Amino acid sequence: MKRLTHLPTLRIDPSQEIPLKYNRRTYQGVHGDTVATALFANGVRILARSLKYHRPRGLYSLDGECSNTFMQVNAIPNVCTENTLLRRGMTVEAQNVKGTPETDRMGFMDKLDWAMPAGFYYRTLHKPARIWPLALKQVRKAAGLGVIAPDFEMKGKYDEIYPQADVCVIGGGPAGMSAARAAAAQGLRVILLESRPWLGGFFDYRPAEYHDGVPLYRRARELAQRLEETTNVRIFSHTAMVGAYNNNLITAFQQGGPGDHFDERYIEIRAVSVVVATGCIERPLLFENNERPGVMQIGCAHRLARTYGLLPGEQAVFSIGHDLGLEAAIDLFDLGLKVACVADIREDGQDPRLVDELAARKIPFWRGWVATRAHGKKTVTKVSLSTIPGTQQRDFGCDLLVASAGMTPVTGPLTLAQAQLQYDLHTGFFLPAQLPPKVHAAGRLLGLHDALAIEASGHLAGLEAAADCGVSVDADRQRARENLDSRPGPVRGCKLVLAPVKGRKSFICFDEDTTIKNIQQAIAMGFEATELIKRFTTAGTGPGQGGIPGHNLPLFVAQYLGEASVAAQPTVVRAPLVPTFLATYAGSHHDMCKRTPVHDSQKQAGGVMRRIGVWRRARYFSQDFSCREEIVNVRNNVGMLDASTLGKFRIWGPDALQALQRVYVSDMSKVSEGKVKYSAMCNDDGCIIDDGVVVKRGANDYYFTTSTARAGVTGEWFRYHTRYDGWNFSIVNLTDAFGVINLAGPNARQVLEKVADADVSNAAFPYIGYREFTIRDTIPVRAMRLGFVGELSYELHVPSSYMQALWDILAEAGRELNIRNFGVEAQNVLRMEKCHLIIGAESELRTTLHDVGLGFLWDRTKTAAKTVGAVALRQTAEQEGRLKLVGFKMEDPSRTPKDGSLIVDRAIRGYICIARHSFTLEEPVGLALVEAPLNQEGTRLEIFEDECGDRRLYAKVVPTPFYDPEGTRLRI
Amino acid sequence: MALTLTCPICGQRNGYEFRYGGEEKGPRPDEEGLSPEDWCDYVHLNKCVAGIQKEWWFHRDGCGAWFTTQRDTTVNLEVEQPEAQL
Repeated sequence: MKRLTHLPTLRIDPSQEIPLKYNRRTYQGVHGDTVATALFANGVRILARSLKYHRPRGLYSLDGECSNTFMQVNAIPNVCTENTLLRRGMTVEAQNVKGTPETDRMGFMDKLDWAMPAGFYYRTLHKPARIWPLALKQVRKAAGLGVIAPDFEMKGKYDEIYPQADVCVIGGGPAGMSAARAAAAQGLRVILLESRPWLGGFFDYRPAEYHDGVPLYRRARELAQRLEETTNVRIFSHTAMVGAYNNNLITAFQQGGPGDHFDERYIEIRAVSVVVATGCIERPLLFENNERPGVMQIGCAHRLARTYGLLPGEQAVFSIGHDLGLEAAIDLFDLGLKVACVADIREDGQDPRLVDELAARKIPFWRGWVATRAHGKKTVTKVSLSTIPGTQQRDFGCDLLVASAGMTPVTGPLTLAQAQLQYDLHTGFFLPAQLPPKVHAAGRLLGLHDALAIEASGHLAGLEAAADCGVSVDADRQRARENLDSRPGPVRGCKLVLAPVKGRKSFICFDEDTTIKNIQQAIAMGFEATELIKRFTTAGTGPGQGGIPGHNLPLFVAQYLGEASVAAQPTVVRAPLVPTFLATYAGSHHDMCKRTPVHDSQKQAGGVMRRIGVWRRARYFSQDFSCREEIVNVRNNVGMLDASTLGKFRIWGPDALQALQRVYVSDMSKVSEGKVKYSAMCNDDGCIIDDGVVVKRGANDYYFTTSTARAGVTGEWFRYHTRYDGWNFSIVNLTDAFGVINLAGPNARQVLEKVADADVSNAAFPYIGYREFTIRDTIPVRAMRLGFVGELSYELHVPSSYMQALWDILAEAGRELNIRNFGVEAQNVLRMEKCHLIIGAESELRTTLHDVGLGFLWDRTKTAAKTVGAVALRQTAEQEGRLKLVGFKMEDPSRTPKDGSLIVDRAIRGYICIARHSFTLEEPVGLALVEAPLNQEGTRLEIFEDECGDRRLYAKVVPTPFYDPEGTRLRI
Repeated sequence: MALTLTCPICGQRNGYEFRYGGEEKGPRPDEEGLSPEDWCDYVHLNKCVAGIQKEWWFHRDGCGAWFTTQRDTTVNLEVEQPEAQL
């Protein structure tokens, strides 16, 4: 098909060809084409088949108002091809067809409409009851448009941004651009959203005169250019607004263009004030076969020619109800389209200049006539026109029928912002009767048609929005209002809904194949409320979101019921206004994690890194995931572990001790200098949430550790539980500021001695001691003698910047002893043998301090401190029926049960928290939480493992700890 | 999130930055002599006001302050002048 390449309004570049594959053939589109227009350029008229009746469908609105052009693009189903830009390498397939869209073997469904009356899904095939499951299967098979491959994987980059603005303008047409400009001129930050890939709206493609001989399209480009040069206006084009929420939170989806780093992105805008200037779409004309390919709306036909350089047909009939239709007929005629006839629904009220121009071109112009039927099996071949009362009729041969009943405002964004809409008799529109605070409407959606009036209303709305932002614009606003009042006001709208048709196939909703007849059936069954009729007939529930039936349905219902009491009520619109990918909602998944200062060293040393909480940590240091060598080395020699992920805090100030008393269960006044105190934190239910150690570094100055998982929330926890007290203390999170190396094993001291500038002998630095000294005269170390893994060990806390140095020094000093790294898994087994807990592993949300055997930590005498959890600890100290922590050994030592396996008898009695083969004890051991009578020593536990069927594993409750119960190894 | 909150230190900010801290219920009762039932009521029972409610928020991704504010729970909007509304 030959393109019109000379038009100044084109948005394509005919010199840049882009191939696409469709139905195993390669077609050529050009740069700027959408997928649908590229196919249209290649003569493809039938792009899809409809949902129920498999009727042929083609280009109709060009703005994504219906599913007519939904196709499968690059294996993604339900892509709206009329607003998806063509890109290189696209493979397009039709959907919901057996065969090709031209010859769909399911086409016979069109004759079965009698079997599918309104609500047939609810009403038929239910009796006798046993047939419904069978019918359901078939209905499900037939329903739906696209099909997604089970192994389909969504590709592409999806992003999200959260910009803020003073004014957010929705709609980049003349009104929106004027509003943005007016607000920006006040120095405000403005965001402008436009759903098409360019600004300009309904000025963009029209060569009609704007003012003083300047055509509209040039005016649009001039406005757009000025805005693009304005630095405080941020323009998001190809961006569909999808939601509006409280506080003027606007959400939108943007499609990426060439050069963008995303394919599609989610935008969430916080604005002080919002201007809605979304303009109008066309109200479909209802007649027999009103969705036959070849029938299209005015804007679609006009834009095909003016924007994409494609004449929409050869011989056309126009059946319209708006001056835009006359304008399009004249312009398309001048571009080479044969116009057989222009039928205007309106008897009068046309712009006389347009009528004269039609006459000058000898185009037959019939007032008070309307299309009643489109003929042609697959595409339009002939049109029947009749007078409005249906008394006279004439047929015209044509391949294009431009049909439109009138305009309808795009009020979705206003409705989402909770504006009240009311039917307006003059315009025939649903107009905002009351706007929410800081929301303004402008432009065509108010019924304006005059170009200068549209801009004036945009300008005024921009100033109103500026006023919301606290800018004083009273004088400007007054002038703008006077200017608007001096321009032509809203134009009278055409009210006709239904042509005088016979037959059953006048579609009110294309997506759901809902006909006028279906609506009549629903009303005959007693439905009166438009909202319920919408639900029952599914008109407007498809992906077009009411773009096609949104206006006609309430009008038709009101007219059909014919009672004055039944005022036309618009159906409710909900977010998202435009369908989009779930991938865009999901956004990009940034796998953000923290690395310790010695991450690279550990990796080089063979560390197998795993994501643990917010960190990446070395879990293993060999491919032997039982960690035998790492464990044996710590038990018999010396190993080192990077424990930098521990939460580390400093708390200081006159009331620091009071704050510690509040959140720790122990009596923290007993924390003394030079000694480590182990304690735990509970929540208000007495459930253990954290454990760690506290040291005192000076008067009112403490340093404490938390578990890795609690590092992020401990500051908040302290502040929350002291929020009423007005205490004077400061708390700072040092987790990232300090790194920790745990040097553990019977030979640990031999390594430390070599490098420490202090006496670290057992006498000078005993178990649970705390010392501060330097290493190699430089590195300041906070050293704690702890024994989490059950051996002599030193936890060395140093500023993060020294971590690498300390790591290298210790590795070097330990080389002659064959020091080895050990990872998180080896530590896990080592501490389990010693029965040292990890909160979250051996506890859950319901586990109290008593349940895990740490009740002794709680000081019940410090009631004045109002310790968090103390009341519940008192209550649960002797409570029955709780899950208690026990140690167990297996009857059959060849088998270690999986973590999480259930303890059962006739019911579930508990579960295994951790079980590992202990190389030290040469048998499997583990810890489990079990119901009270089962926690007695010697009890036989029955273990149910996943998928074990009738087979059970058996274990015996044994005393804990399993390893070194006297604790002598810690004290050597 | 449509909600915005006014942090006493950082000003009006997006609701995403905050963590909810529950209804305002007054300071912790004295531990001495407190029955478990009364304690449970204090910790767990909420008024769930349909209207303006005084509540605690934590500026998690900001200054780290706990503060109270008034929110109309029926529309999920912070009430601008809390004192005047009471």
